[in-house]
Amino acid sequence: MSGGASGETYSAAVARAFRAWDWFWFTPTRPHTLCLLRVLTGAMLLYCHLVLASDLEAFVGPDAWINNDMARQLHDGAFGDADWARSYLWHIESPTLIWTHHLVTITVTAMMMFGAATRVTVPLSLFLQLMYLHRLTPALFGLDQIVTYTTMYLAFTPCGACFSVDAWLRNKGAAKGKASSIRRWMFQDDRPSVAANIGTRLLQLHLCVIYMFGGLSKARGGSWWDGSAVWYAVANYEYQSLDMTWLSGYPGLLLGLSLATLFWEVFYCALVWPRVSRPFVLAVAVGVHGGIALFLGMSTFGLMMIIANGIFVAPSLLQSKDQREFDQMLASIEQDDDDGDEPPDDYEDIDLLNEVQDDERQRLNRKREKVANAASRVKRRYRALKKREEKYESRVKRLREREAKIKKFVERRKQKGEPELEGDDE
Amino acid sequence: MSQQEDRDEDALLDDVSDIETRSLSTRTKSIVSAVIVFHLLAVFMPPLLFQTRSMVLGGSPLIRSASRPFLGYGQFLYLDRGYAFFAPDPGPSRVIQVAVVNEDGTISETILPDRERQWPRLLYHRHFMLTEYLSESYVEPGPPEILIETAPEDAEWWRRGRARYEDLRQSMVDHLRGLHPGKEVALRRLVHYIPSREDYEVEPIALNDLRLYEVLLDQATYEVIAEPSTEVIPPPSVEGEPQELPPTTGDPENTPADSEPSEEGVQPGVPEGTQQ
Repeated sequence: MSGGASGETYSAAVARAFRAWDWFWFTPTRPHTLCLLRVLTGAMLLYCHLVLASDLEAFVGPDAWINNDMARQLHDGAFGDADWARSYLWHIESPTLIWTHHLVTITVTAMMMFGAATRVTVPLSLFLQLMYLHRLTPALFGLDQIVTYTTMYLAFTPCGACFSVDAWLRNKGAAKGKASSIRRWMFQDDRPSVAANIGTRLLQLHLCVIYMFGGLSKARGGSWWDGSAVWYAVANYEYQSLDMTWLSGYPGLLLGLSLATLFWEVFYCALVWPRVSRPFVLAVAVGVHGGIALFLGMSTFGLMMIIANGIFVAPSLLQSKDQREFDQMLASIEQDDDDGDEPPDDYEDIDLLNEVQDDERQRLNRKREKVANAASRVKRRYRALKKREEKYESRVKRLREREAKIKKFVERRKQKGEPELEGDDE
Repeated sequence: MSQQEDRDEDALLDDVSDIETRSLSTRTKSIVSAVIVFHLLAVFMPPLLFQTRSMVLGGSPLIRSASRPFLGYGQFLYLDRGYAFFAPDPGPSRVIQVAVVNEDGTISETILPDRERQWPRLLYHRHFMLTEYLSESYVEPGPPEILIETAPEDAEWWRRGRARYEDLRQSMVDHLRGLHPGKEVALRRLVHYIPSREDYEVEPIALNDLRLYEVLLDQATYEVIAEPSTEVIPPPSVEGEPQELPPTTGDPENTPADSEPSEEGVQPGVPEGTQQ
């Protein structure tokens, strides 16, 4: 089947789409951005649990605003369709058990924030959070959504690889010698991984879905088009944290803010990917959510949305100088120096791939060969280094054994009261 | 060479070695891709279903069917959200007023949420969401007889919705009773209106002015709607005879809903929960 103006066949277009999919999801990425998100999301989740602790029995337990039976009936089909939102907290009546459970939750969440045993504590934090969500159904709002989703995507990524207790322990353990496979899994390192990329992509896409539907929902209302929506938001007494009613004198500004919010939300999913528009889209995100945090009484929600938008920050900004240089060196191997063409970039590659023509494909094939050759050179070099490392390790081992023997010999001599060997210090 | 440098070198070597191991097999990629697609559909379908909701159908049947395979998964992971923040139009808040009868017979009234008592702000917001949820769940007393006869399934849904609201309200009243043991407690729902920008420009009223609150009555409105709303024009009066005007349904004094107590016996204007 022949294609359109580009002359590309359908099968070639399908193959190209598969390559784009493969690149988008399966390109290993450094986990630094996720690690920073783990710290910030963990802190927010911890704060949520601490605030809940300040009035725990009003929200969990048999005497809560929504008692256990009612919380269960909201999900078990008593008043409509049953759903899968289940929680064992519906069945806990004892205040002691409720408090013990909550203290465990706080501890686990704090461990997530500090990055201790993250392979276990992040998924566990997610599970505990879900149990609370299905118990607190009527008391939830946007914050609970975004903090849960961020935790969910962090749960299966190596988000404890840096800025964490795990990283500290890993470095400490590395000095002692080779680590077991379990230890390596527990104390993950910050090498590029597919898991980090998938977690990053899923959160990015989820944000796009949130904003797109948020924008489309707003577009259905008349007040977002005539500017009154922003007025009704800032003049809502229950939300208000700073008095912004002076805006009533500036209808033009209200309209501008209203339309800017509407268009930004609708087009976020398209404009956040190209490198050129991304900084502006993220800057507006900071402005909109900062405004919600400061003026609409939802500092936690606003802050958490800004944190989640951080997923679009490149990991290289958070890496050490040495590591960044190393990554650049690897990237330079893959670069085509002849024509100065850029390699596939994180977010603008889909556009790039769209422009690839048949003659360019041949050039890319040559480039791929070049990269493959370079990779095999790197592999050879790596194997040679590994051999050297093994030799070095065996030598160190021998020396240590010899040292131990000498020490043992000296100890024995001392015990027998024999004079020390010549050359020993006095 | 220091230990730190050794570790850095090891890390770099590991990175290089990763070139060999990081490529996943096609089979693994296919499985992971299928999981990704499933998850993304579970993320995408709930807000789409939410957008297609209408008063009559309660969601597009097509989208509802397409969403079914992802429902349970999405519900457990809390993905079943509409993301309609402040949409389609930001509206007034729904709060509750709590009345507690003290031992000396006086009544203490408070409006929840209360910024002064619920601190930090997140705790206040949780209480605010509770009051909003109560009003969102509100289903008026019913169903009407005609609906039971003509659409028993819809009548059953009405009954369930009403039971859900009543149980929610009862749970809140029970909680308040726990806070005030031995005292009579009642609550009623209020709507807190927001002045329009134009009105505010003319009269900059305090946003918590009592004039902006209105009690939401727990009474059936369908009976009012069922009444003919056309005004009967009286015949021209004959000279010498007194003119008699028929009652109009537009007069709130004569509406059946106002003149009769609602199903649960709560009089209009009487706090909900007093009869519990």
